Amino acid sequence: MTLNPMHQFEVYRIGPEINFGSINLSFTNASLFMAISASLILSLLYLGTKKKSLIPSKIQLITEMSYTFVAKMINDTAGSSAKAFFPFIFTLFMFVLFCNMVGMLPYSFTVTSHIIVTFALAAAVFLGVTVIGFVKHGIKYLELFVPKDVPIILLPLIIVIEIISYLSRPVSLSVRLFANMMAGHTMLKVFGGFVISLGLLGGWLPLGFSVALTGLEILVAFLQAYVFAILTCIYLNDALNLHH
Amino acid sequence: MKNLKEISTRLEIAKKNIKKNKINNQGSNAASLGKALKISTELVAAVVVGSIIGFLLDNWFDTKPLLTICFFFIGTFAGIRNVFKLAKNMNKKL
Repeated sequence: MTLNPMHQFEVYRIGPEINFGSINLSFTNASLFMAISASLILSLLYLGTKKKSLIPSKIQLITEMSYTFVAKMINDTAGSSAKAFFPFIFTLFMFVLFCNMVGMLPYSFTVTSHIIVTFALAAAVFLGVTVIGFVKHGIKYLELFVPKDVPIILLPLIIVIEIISYLSRPVSLSVRLFANMMAGHTMLKVFGGFVISLGLLGGWLPLGFSVALTGLEILVAFLQAYVFAILTCIYLNDALNLHH
Repeated sequence: MKNLKEISTRLEIAKKNIKKNKINNQGSNAASLGKALKISTELVAAVVVGSIIGFLLDNWFDTKPLLTICFFFIGTFAGIRNVFKLAKNMNKKL
């Protein structure tokens, strides 16, 4: 077993190498854990909705709770006009949540600790929201960059600032999730390494820290999925209802 | 005897209230952790994006370090503005 705390983030190929032109499309451990998360979500939803009873079983209860949780979140932040986007936000939330949670299992791989994965998710949200805004409001969507009650002299500067703050959305969205997951898992591994190197005599303190950090990481894993989904709702709200 | 019963029921109600408050506090703790993470990255991201835009424009117009410096500061303004907006929204919700 290696003690390098960054070793856990290594992406390696599983099975044969598949090259599509110059693009390497091989199946990696990242793809494997994404597939595991997706199939876990699908099986949870399938089992939860298979036997619909008035007094729900535990698995039905979890499914219904996740549904109402996301539905309430959309209603509170983006209003009823965003109801049409429920499937997208529910998928996003569940995928990020399950990727984070599957990553908490020992010997597993955390997909969301790679910035390319989180950035792809955030870029999809960003492009989608921009397209929705332009489809809904046409060219008037650009009013988003012109705040009300600004003197004309300041307007050029303010517009540049607003554009930068708009463009910073996918960056902040992806960096937040990636940094939290990577920092947490690195820290867990570092404390785990302390336990081994300090041995039977001094290893108990870092072991305690490790246990406490695992609890914190589970909280962070849920929280980051929640923040990712709620910010998507907020951006959607900006696109659907201009100036609110 | 009647008095004792009354007191015990009142005690139970008070204990329940304490428990409720504790649960509420825990919920708000998690939420504030989320808010703190949100605000900190918001500030950094705008600075990074501003600097990157400046750097790209510099390469385009061949005006190295000038535009990078300008856009770094504009990005910083944008970041502070983002934080202000977020904080304002949080105040509204309270």
